[in-house]
Amino acid sequence: MATKMLETALRRHGDVAILDLTGEIDGFADEVLNAAYAAAEQTAPRAILLNFKGVDYINSTGIALIVGLLAQARRAGRKLLTCHLGPHYTEIFQITRLADFMSLYPDEASALAQDS
Amino acid sequence: MTEPAPNPAPRDAGQWARPVDKLNLSGVQAGGIRLNVEGRHLTGPIRGFGQMWQKTYWVRLPGAAAAPADVIAVWKAEFPNFWPKGNRFYGPLTGIRPGEVAVLNLAGPGGVTAPGDTPVIATGIMVIFADDVSFSFMTPEGHILAGLITFSAHTDEGATVAQVQALIRTMDPLYELMFRVGIGHKTEDDFWLATLRSLAARFGVNGLPQLRSALVDPRVQWSEAKNVWQNAAIRTGLYLPVALLKKVFRRA
Repeated sequence: MATKMLETALRRHGDVAILDLTGEIDGFADEVLNAAYAAAEQTAPRAILLNFKGVDYINSTGIALIVGLLAQARRAGRKLLTCHLGPHYTEIFQITRLADFMSLYPDEASALAQDS
Repeated sequence: MTEPAPNPAPRDAGQWARPVDKLNLSGVQAGGIRLNVEGRHLTGPIRGFGQMWQKTYWVRLPGAAAAPADVIAVWKAEFPNFWPKGNRFYGPLTGIRPGEVAVLNLAGPGGVTAPGDTPVIATGIMVIFADDVSFSFMTPEGHILAGLITFSAHTDEGATVAQVQALIRTMDPLYELMFRVGIGHKTEDDFWLATLRSLAARFGVNGLPQLRSALVDPRVQWSEAKNVWQNAAIRTGLYLPVALLKKVFRRA
């Protein structure tokens, strides 16, 4: 099966940077994801919201990349939020304990509303 | 800019373990010291105490007529055979599959074991992810490392490469001390480099494993210092006299 390389788009809503993620989060996503996160950080947001609406594959290497982003966010004292994970990826965030340290919201509106 | 289109059904659905409250050993091969696993929670690299490291170990298998999926199939099926002497892996009865649990009986630094070749740390892992070219373990409370460790294979410049990538924090301050003085890092590095050498030999290659380490988070998490109460090395040490007596009485 052809893989869909991760693509990202950065938006801003108030003091929250929103990263729209589309494609697959695996070992090949390393550079793209870290570059996108660095670009989001450069806007000095209070929080960064990862929007998983367009993500249809995450493997364990991809989870390790997200753990790395979480470590960066915590070091900078910045909140890392997620939305649109859906039931499947919510379970994965629970089993990998990412859910202990990231707020998971069903959609972008609720993430922005509850984090304001 | 608008949000991206909704995603279709994820195709990794069957490759991940389902969430569990606590680990249980019902599906694990008999044998070994079965401490520090049953009833424990999974941890993962975020929950530990020490600095977060990403360690990548790899070995190239030039000339081996094995595609990445072939290497992973063998690695899954013969996983314990590649471990250094003194370390034992009591795997799932059904093989390495998402959600399965295994018991680990480990030697100490430098391969040190207790009398009778008895391992000095009893702990475990859970398989949280597996597909044709990779599989991943997470560790329970009390393990030396709170971590996510992924075993994978890929092709690079015409050769198959086998890789171990660990995203880890030490679980508690005692383990962190071992790592800060270098003993922990050396033990961990020696373990996986030896494993990769054995794996390469299985495919007829005299491999030269490589290592790359990156410090992901230099901070320690003092909120997790309490993990020391579940330290598997201490608990195994307290249990060892009992295990040795059992061994003696079985022989008598």
